Amino acid sequence: MIAACSKSFLDVDLKATQVEDNYYKNPDQAFAGLVAAYDPLGWEGGISSGYSNFPCLEAASDDCFGGGGSASDVPYLNTMDSYNIDAANGPQLDFWQKNFTGISRVNTVLSVFEKDIPGLDDAVKKRYIAEAKFLRAHYYFDLVRLFANVPLFTEPLPKEEIYNVTQASPEEVYAQIEKDLKDVIAEPNLPDKVPAATEGGRVTKGAAQALLGKVYLYEKKWNDAAAQFADVNGAPGGTSKYGYHLLNNFSDIFRVDNKFNSESIIEITHTSIAASGWGNVSNMEGMIASQMVGPRSYNGPIYYSGWGGCPITPSLFNAIHNDPRYATTVADIDSLVNLHLASYKPGYQNTGHFAKKFAPQQSFKNTNAGPAPPNYPQNYIEMRLADTYLMEAEALVQGGGDLIRAAALLNAVRARVGLDPEEATLENIYNERRLELATEGHRWYDLIRTGRAAAILGPLGFTTGKNELLPIPLPEFTNTRMVQNPGY
Amino acid sequence: MIVFSSVLTAKDSTGQGLDTKNTFLTIQVDSKPLQEVFSEIEHQSKCKFVYDANSLNVTAPITMHVKKESLYNILIQLSEKMNLDFKQIGNYFSVRTVEKPHEGSSVGTSAAIKKVFFPDTKVSSYGLISNLYNNIIVRGKVTDDKGSPLLGVTVQLKGSGLGTMTDANGDFEITLASGNATLVFSYVGFEIKEVKLNGRTTINVSLTASVSGLNEVVVVGYGTQKKSVVTGAISSVKASDLENQQIGNLSQALQGRASGLTIASSSGAPGAAATVTIRGTTSLNDGANDPLYVVDGVVVGSGGIDYLNPNDIESIEVLKDAASAAIYGARSSAGVILVTTKKGKAGDVRVNYNGYYGTQAPAKKLKLLNATQYATLMNEQAANDGKPAVFANPESFGKGTDWQDLIFNNDAQIQNHEVSISGGSEKATFYTSFGYFGQDGIVAPSISNYKRYNVRLNSSYKIAKWLTFGQTAGYSHINNKGNVAGNTDFGGPLSSAIMMDPITKKIITDPTEANAVPYSTQPVERDGNGNPYGISNYVVQQVTNPLAYIQTEQGNYNWSDDIVGNVFLEAEPVKGLKLRSTVGTTLSYWGSENFTPLYYLNSNQFSTQTSFARSRQKSANWNIENTVSFNRLINQHNFTILLGQGAYLDNNSSGINVTYFNLPVNTFKEASMNYSISAADISAGGYEGIHHTVSSLFGRLTYDYGGKYLFTGIIRRDGSSRFGSNNKFGYFPSASVGWVASREDFFPAKENINFLKIRGSYGITGSDVLGNFRYLSTVGGGRNYTFGDNLYDIGYSPDAPSNPDLRWEQTSQLNFGIDMVLFTNWNLTFDWYNKKTSGILQTIQFPAYVGATGSSYGNVADMENKGLELELGYQKTIGAVKINVKGNISHLRNEVTYLGDGKEFLDGGAKLQSSTYPLTRTAVGYAIGSFYGFKTEGVFQNQGEIDAYVGKDGKPIQPTAVPGDFKWADLDGDGQITEADRTFIGDPIPDWSYGFSFNVSWKSFDLLVFGQGISGNQIFQGLRRMDIPTANWQTDFLNRWHGEGTSNTYPRLTITDKNKNMANPSDFRLQNGDYFRIKTLQIGYSLPANIINKAGLKTARIYLSSNNLLTATKYTGFDPEIGGSSYGIDRAIYPQSRSYLVGLNLGF
Repeated sequence: MIAACSKSFLDVDLKATQVEDNYYKNPDQAFAGLVAAYDPLGWEGGISSGYSNFPCLEAASDDCFGGGGSASDVPYLNTMDSYNIDAANGPQLDFWQKNFTGISRVNTVLSVFEKDIPGLDDAVKKRYIAEAKFLRAHYYFDLVRLFANVPLFTEPLPKEEIYNVTQASPEEVYAQIEKDLKDVIAEPNLPDKVPAATEGGRVTKGAAQALLGKVYLYEKKWNDAAAQFADVNGAPGGTSKYGYHLLNNFSDIFRVDNKFNSESIIEITHTSIAASGWGNVSNMEGMIASQMVGPRSYNGPIYYSGWGGCPITPSLFNAIHNDPRYATTVADIDSLVNLHLASYKPGYQNTGHFAKKFAPQQSFKNTNAGPAPPNYPQNYIEMRLADTYLMEAEALVQGGGDLIRAAALLNAVRARVGLDPEEATLENIYNERRLELATEGHRWYDLIRTGRAAAILGPLGFTTGKNELLPIPLPEFTNTRMVQNPGY
Repeated sequence: MIVFSSVLTAKDSTGQGLDTKNTFLTIQVDSKPLQEVFSEIEHQSKCKFVYDANSLNVTAPITMHVKKESLYNILIQLSEKMNLDFKQIGNYFSVRTVEKPHEGSSVGTSAAIKKVFFPDTKVSSYGLISNLYNNIIVRGKVTDDKGSPLLGVTVQLKGSGLGTMTDANGDFEITLASGNATLVFSYVGFEIKEVKLNGRTTINVSLTASVSGLNEVVVVGYGTQKKSVVTGAISSVKASDLENQQIGNLSQALQGRASGLTIASSSGAPGAAATVTIRGTTSLNDGANDPLYVVDGVVVGSGGIDYLNPNDIESIEVLKDAASAAIYGARSSAGVILVTTKKGKAGDVRVNYNGYYGTQAPAKKLKLLNATQYATLMNEQAANDGKPAVFANPESFGKGTDWQDLIFNNDAQIQNHEVSISGGSEKATFYTSFGYFGQDGIVAPSISNYKRYNVRLNSSYKIAKWLTFGQTAGYSHINNKGNVAGNTDFGGPLSSAIMMDPITKKIITDPTEANAVPYSTQPVERDGNGNPYGISNYVVQQVTNPLAYIQTEQGNYNWSDDIVGNVFLEAEPVKGLKLRSTVGTTLSYWGSENFTPLYYLNSNQFSTQTSFARSRQKSANWNIENTVSFNRLINQHNFTILLGQGAYLDNNSSGINVTYFNLPVNTFKEASMNYSISAADISAGGYEGIHHTVSSLFGRLTYDYGGKYLFTGIIRRDGSSRFGSNNKFGYFPSASVGWVASREDFFPAKENINFLKIRGSYGITGSDVLGNFRYLSTVGGGRNYTFGDNLYDIGYSPDAPSNPDLRWEQTSQLNFGIDMVLFTNWNLTFDWYNKKTSGILQTIQFPAYVGATGSSYGNVADMENKGLELELGYQKTIGAVKINVKGNISHLRNEVTYLGDGKEFLDGGAKLQSSTYPLTRTAVGYAIGSFYGFKTEGVFQNQGEIDAYVGKDGKPIQPTAVPGDFKWADLDGDGQITEADRTFIGDPIPDWSYGFSFNVSWKSFDLLVFGQGISGNQIFQGLRRMDIPTANWQTDFLNRWHGEGTSNTYPRLTITDKNKNMANPSDFRLQNGDYFRIKTLQIGYSLPANIINKAGLKTARIYLSSNNLLTATKYTGFDPEIGGSSYGIDRAIYPQSRSYLVGLNLGF
């Protein structure tokens, strides 16, 4: 009864409920913390919000439409496609939530790693720290490109500070990204490459250099960019010091049975074995983009049915139709229908042509438990060697660098698909990027980064000075000190 | 000079006499005898003079001329003129001649007279009131039936005005002429008692409380109080209110019998509980709205009260206002229900048998379309969508199958048998009872029935004169088959019987059809003759042949064993000082057995593997309480101080469940876990409950002055395991005051107000229904990522920023009330309250840049309930007729006042299958869970009306509508129908709840009528799922629009429903939920004593009774009583039964 009066009577047994103060006490828990920091990389949406991912950015470009069942069916795609985006409507909360969740988890584990974790080898811990910093740089690079003006956190946010937060300048964010990536690259315990079967998708030094090069490119630090890419790319057409080399067969890049191939530098992973159901995007381990870009109510060979998102625009179709990469890039459903091999339900903005690189293909059938969608096993290769070749070529041309090497890089990409060499002009490089990387989520960023958005997207409704950035999501203004981006 | 001469009391000390100063008379007499003046005064003022005619010269002539003079002054004049001396008792004046004549003029001065008025504090010294000055003195003490002294009891000589009153110790003294007189003891709130002296000079009398209840003892939590001095708002239901009524559980005992409660059955299924809310919804969180149940001092937690046998209940007290409930602190904001079970009394052993047996049937059958009508409407529906007719010849189907007839049981048995034995001596008492209650359902009784077995033993022992030990213990075993899924969109016999088409046959007898697909290939259910049950070709989804469904649920049941009890030790070492320790416990064991056979009900509803699931759970909760109380009466200052300590543990639970798949059997009967099956076919799970602990200190001061000025102050400090680390302890104070105005000297002594108490209270209560560890920063799993080829690793990360400031939901309540006894036989209680809950637990939406994964909780929202309550009682005996009437009515208004900064409404709400829009919305300024939807403005009769319905821009508002579609109100005036055109269209909370009971007996016969009702609420009639366009219709759909002018309220039939006539939540199916119901009608007959005595019986009564005989309502579903979690939306609720019973009460 005396116990009953005391405070300890009120401190009841946690019964296996994990409490933060008692967690991160052994190597397994440290690793679990790191895994959680990786987790948002694979999200194709937010926690409380809907499905959205790189196809949104394709819809915003001149390569794809929004599509779906109707003009209002997939708002994440259609608001981006029509530029009819405002603080309340659009995919911005998904991108915002995904990346800030990643940053929060990174900051948590980095603060954990400052303390001693019994049993955790120092070298392993240093590798973990490097991975976490890479992730933070990656998350911030997405944020700064999409929103420019975002809060900058490098430590866990104290609860009492939540509503006092203000946005940092893009320069400050870029500076932090550079600092993080330089730390990563300088870390001797971070491997140059990882065994694909067990660690594919984990951070490598090659990935860090490639990302830093890309960051420099966006900052227009041409020489710094070219220097990083030179390490990643090595001799054009050869094998770099990280083991990267172009695959001989273009279509092999996207095969599910060819994950973590030698062309892949940053690969966002998915799996079919989690047997996820539809629900919060953050809990799904399969690829949702596959479902999104599949033809609607499809019956026929090669593909599964999907939602009819991101139909290929006539503009891209015309540009790529006679290119050797067409068959790998475009799923020509109309032709199948015309041959009476298949049927489907044309959706909104249907062109009969769909994005094939990540399409739900029967040959990559999920053989594990759980329904096919949302358990498509495709990975998303976010950065691959052809991309870094072309980025280095661009940096060299822009920075007045080695134009011979620039041409060699460009033409290595072309030669792989059997195209003749070209001169390394900016226009040629831009055009090559469009065709080589079509539907892989780069086009919209490229058009904005290179200042071509107004000319190319303007006729489609793009408002210069506004649509370069997404609006800060509406819920973020409740009781906070956030400032909206211009034009919204 | 001392004025013995004119002793005149303006009124008596109880405040119940004639007010002589405010009674004005006109007397015009010339030389008339004194007695005529007395008569005239008696005639005008309704008073009475008493005197000894031998010693008083009543014929002495007197002359008096007064006009509208006060009686007071008239008596003073008489006193002066005739040398008389008056004493007033109530309306009586005792008159005698003054021995000494008056001297001087100071006699009649008011100053002198005042001096001799009865000072309240010294009633006893003036207790002697007599006009017979030389006779015997009788003394005695008057107490209530519990032995407590009664102050102010009128003691009168029968047949005269002569009398006195008792003092604060209950003592009286009266001088009488004869020792053979009869004394009459009367006191407000008690039965009048007459005692013959038979020469005795000491008389001790105990009075029995009468119906007015003023002297009823009310349980107030850690003690009792007389109703006359209670300052809180407490409703009581006594055993006598429940006797012989067929009450299945506690909530039924309260429904209609106490004001301020909203009670609705969640189902009419046997054993189903009801939702009970006291003074409205207190919180937005479900669990925080259940009252705290305390049985004999044991906190049994919310909802776990089914185990109790209603026959064992002595009284139920509902603590409604904060001042009453605050003694239960952090768990009392939804109100407290105190249940006291019966105890033995010293005396002969009493044996009672109570039992009844009866039959039940559905009170209402819905009118549904027959097969011909159904086919006709299906064809019309197809035609409206431009499709060919579905049925070539609707007439050929005739009436078809009446599915309701097939599932309803018109002879469902209900029975209850209970034997109680009680008795004891001065040293020890006991009460023990054995009960059985069994009820079959009126729907599919083979899968809907309930049995409860009860045993109770309550006893107490006096170890020493000052030390008592006692215990209470109740055990129950319940076996409940509740497999008729009621009030759900997802099937079950009830909703299937409504929606199944009448064309499908009950069984397939045609061999050709029975040997075809699917009957030949699927594991279809069959009747006893092997005929397959029909499967519909038209209605699928969850709608199935209800008879086939019933086959799949055979045998499944839930069970529970509960033991709830306590032991206590009570000591009174010094008079007035009581020490009490109790240890209470609730031990519960419960589980279920479920077998799923292979079955095929339709193409959506089938099972391809057998499974046999068993769950077993237990909990062992306990509490310890120690109290010390001290009572002291100093003069008229009556203090009671209570101090206490308590410790409580609940949710000390654990459970396991096991499922065996693919057993080689196909019925529940054959199923056994003794079969050897592979480990892969066994799946199991388990859990442990997170303990919930509360540690408490509490104190209460009760004070009254002469039963006139009342005060109660309470403070409780509660610590809870669910409170955040910065708010581990909460303080819950309350104060209440009362004033018994009718005891004041100046209170007008009118006979029509016998008792008047005005009271007010304010207090703060809390709720700790917050969930576990919501103040801690927890780490959650499932944040996984894939490394390598088709592998993934498990990630953990913090859920959300912790909230160490998490605290109780706090409810403050202001209450004003009046208790009155009127015209002797009426009593009335009125209450007004304003109850405000603040800091209601809500998830906190942090900005997304915080990057939190889980939810954080905070004390955010506010809500308010305002209400009025009136309880009225009347009791009168007129010759052999005894009448007892009780009634109550409550008004309630609930309003959500705050949901967080800038938050106008909560996300979510109850949904219908047909719509993406929720049907209900909880929003600031409206009642919780209000109905929210579109407003219909009639039906478009022709294209012209559609074209004419234009917005400001001149464009049609509903361009795609066709004649027969609803015209939706364009509430935001934007020229189109969007989600912004939804509005609040009603709410499910009754504005008024009321009940009454009428009890009359004449000689050996008695009659009881008990009724109950609500009004001012809406019900959404969702019996037909609007997303199943082929489901059968109620006959009111024959009024559908089918051509210009055919209907302006029912739309056309359509499958595509482009106008969303059915899919949009709207006022179309929203109906008035008012009802009034005769719950009980009973006629009883008590057998004459001379007959039953021969059989060794003391009492014997037989009765006939009917429950739910009549329900008056305009609602078109089965039953307007829609409780449970989907309050206000009827998705085919299991209706209440109508029953007819015969019962027997025997006393040995």
